[in-house]
Amino acid sequence: MNTCPEQIVHNMHAYLDGDISPDDELQLNKHLAECVECRMLMEELSIPITFIRKAESVQAPIGFVDGVMARLPKEKPQAGVQR
Amino acid sequence: MDDLVNKRINEVLKGNQDAFEEIVTLFQHRLYHICYRMLNNAQEAEDIAQEAFVRAYINIHTFDQKRKFSTWLFRIATNLCIDRIRKKKPDYYLDANVPGTEGLTMYSQIAADDELPEDKVEQMETQERIHYEIGKLPDKYRSVIILRYIEELPLQEIGDILELPLGTVKTRVHRGRAALRKQLSNL
Repeated sequence: MNTCPEQIVHNMHAYLDGDISPDDELQLNKHLAECVECRMLMEELSIPITFIRKAESVQAPIGFVDGVMARLPKEKPQAGVQR
Repeated sequence: MDDLVNKRINEVLKGNQDAFEEIVTLFQHRLYHICYRMLNNAQEAEDIAQEAFVRAYINIHTFDQKRKFSTWLFRIATNLCIDRIRKKKPDYYLDANVPGTEGLTMYSQIAADDELPEDKVEQMETQERIHYEIGKLPDKYRSVIILRYIEELPLQEIGDILELPLGTVKTRVHRGRAALRKQLSNL
C-alpha cells in the first residue's frame, strides 16, 4: 500500500496535465527520487502519454494551400465592414 | 509570428486575397494535423482543414488582433471537426458499405468506431496503433488529449480553443488519460 501523502499523487496528475507550479514540481521530483512505489505509480500514469507522444507529425498534403485559395470566395471579405 | 500574421490579416482586410496565402502556408500543417487526429481520416481532414481556412477568411474581420490567431483558427477547425463527427455517427453503417476508397491509406480506412479483435490490434505497427487508439477515444476526450499531448498546448489555451472553463479541461485531460490507459491495458 502506498502511504505517501495524497498531495504527491495530486502533484503527479498536475505534472502530467502540464499544470504544476515550479515549487510543487521540485517537491515531486525530490520525492520520486527517494520513493520506489511513487516512481512506479508515476510510470504507470505516464503510459498513455508516452504512447500518444509517439504519434508522428502529419503534414498537409501537397496542393493543400492551392486548394484553400481555390475555395475562397472571389470578393474581398468586407461583409462586416459594410454593415 | 503574431506580428507577421496581423500584418497579413490587415492586408487581407484591405482586399488583398493573396496575403491570405501566406497565412495558410504558415498554419497548414498544424491545422491539418489536428483535423487528421480528430477525424482519423486523411480525406476528411483535408476537406475540413481547408474549410476552416475558408471560414477564417470569410470571418477575418471578426478576429480580435490582440488575441492569438492560432487559438481562433484552431477553434474554427475543432468546431467543424466536432460537427463532422456528430453528423457522421448515424450514417456509419451506410458508410461501411460504400467501397469508394481509392487512394486512401490503410490508416484512413480504419473507421473510428471500429472495434478490432485483440490479436489484430496487437499486430498493428506503432503509428497505426496510435491512430486506432485515438480514434477509439470519446470525442470530448479526444480533442483535449490531441491538443494537450500532440500539439503540446497549455491547458488555458485548450480552454480558449474549445471554449471550456479551465476546470472542465483539466477533468477531461485527466479522464482522457485514464480512458486511454484503460484501452491500452485491455491488450
